Amino acid sequence: MALPLPPGLTPAEVGFLCEMELVTVIPRQRLEGLELLGGPTQPMIPPFATPLPLWLALLLKKQRRANISPPGWLNVEALTHILDFETDERTADVFSPSPRLPQPTSTAPLEEDPYLAHDALELSPPFLKDAATAQAQDDALPYHWLELSHLLLTHAADDFDDPDAVHRLLRDLREVRMSKLRKGFRVLDAGAGVKMNGMGGMEVAEVRGFVGGVVDGLRRINRSREEARKEEEAEQRENGLGSSNYRDDEDDDML
Amino acid sequence: MDDDIQDILDSVSRPSVPQRTLDLQALTRAWVNERTSPELLPYPSDLVERVMERVKKQIETIEDMTGTADPKSNFTLVILQTELERFKFLVRSFLRARIAKIDKYPHHYRAEALKESQATLSTPSPLLSHLEQQYLQSHQGLLSQHYHSSFLSSFPTALQKLDDTAGGISMVDKPEEDSAVFCRVLRDAGSVEIQGATSASEAELRRGDVFVIRWSAVSDAVKRGDVELI
Repeated sequence: MALPLPPGLTPAEVGFLCEMELVTVIPRQRLEGLELLGGPTQPMIPPFATPLPLWLALLLKKQRRANISPPGWLNVEALTHILDFETDERTADVFSPSPRLPQPTSTAPLEEDPYLAHDALELSPPFLKDAATAQAQDDALPYHWLELSHLLLTHAADDFDDPDAVHRLLRDLREVRMSKLRKGFRVLDAGAGVKMNGMGGMEVAEVRGFVGGVVDGLRRINRSREEARKEEEAEQRENGLGSSNYRDDEDDDML
Repeated sequence: MDDDIQDILDSVSRPSVPQRTLDLQALTRAWVNERTSPELLPYPSDLVERVMERVKKQIETIEDMTGTADPKSNFTLVILQTELERFKFLVRSFLRARIAKIDKYPHHYRAEALKESQATLSTPSPLLSHLEQQYLQSHQGLLSQHYHSSFLSSFPTALQKLDDTAGGISMVDKPEEDSAVFCRVLRDAGSVEIQGATSASEAELRRGDVFVIRWSAVSDAVKRGDVELI
């Protein structure tokens, strides 16, 4: 009954999430618009490009009913450009920037709004517009870059001009970024609060166990020091202001 | 210049998003948050109810279509069924992740739910759904009955409790609020305090940033929707 998995998405679940990205499909036969649970799809009329979720595009591709046109960043030229940025010495400790974010469209929820109210729902991957369609920005890797390119290269390799070169570039990119990540682990400490902009979904899934383990382990080791510091600060505050309602944490059983 | 025009176009084309699509987005967010957070999050009862209603209708549609057995509609049927399975997976995985947390810290969540029900009459997103509450009660009832009949009854009366807090040590396990989570900032949300071993610092939460941070620092922002877990 209960899910036997630890917190954190597994690679398969990240792949599932990635399959919700919209991609551009070039139909080879007609298919009327469908009323899906996640909203209606556009009718497919060859040879007009249609945006469809990746899972549906792959289904159509496997049945040879459509071709998938790869996103703007998934070709030899764009990937070479991004790889140059990643391997440049001047940008050795940052990832290449993520695609431009659209203006926020939602407003902060009101006090009585329920959790996940529609008006307060700010879009994020895999629902961001044009992350993987043919109109996608060509000089940045979107959040689901690794999963998406893997799926496309596995199931729709014949829609690429040069799938082998793309594959090689992706592998280089992955290795460069992973080594950057590993170097970045040096800054991890008990307090966490580490900024890791530009990380991809699969990369998060890959390092979650290690990063979480290190940060949590360090926190446990340093707990007594942290608590002593907090107490000291609270004392100073008390002395300075004369009154404070600071209480010792009662559930504290580690000391 | 082009960016400005794109922004204007985006803001104009926004209101046409159907509610179903918004529900899918909300459910996906709920699932990822629940799968990655160390603590149980509020239960979006209206959302799950709407989704389940639609799933039920879709099953009926599919059954009707299977009846007519038209070879042309066969492929449409495959698509509809695939999507249905994806939705069912989302809901199921979401609920199972919640049950896993409830099973892990039953006494803690029972106390929390009790506290909540005393504080307010009804909230749009309670901590536990009605069914989850029932499950928690009866599961705990069965367990404690079993413990009693098999070994607890031979203990001294003072040691028979399962949720003892005497002596400064609580028997009630709690989820680790300070464990590290990966999160993405969706809306500028001010700054949060970061407690370190030797000093406390502040981190500014700006739209688009990705952080590894303590759950306790961002839990309120996640419930508000300013930050999502990844």
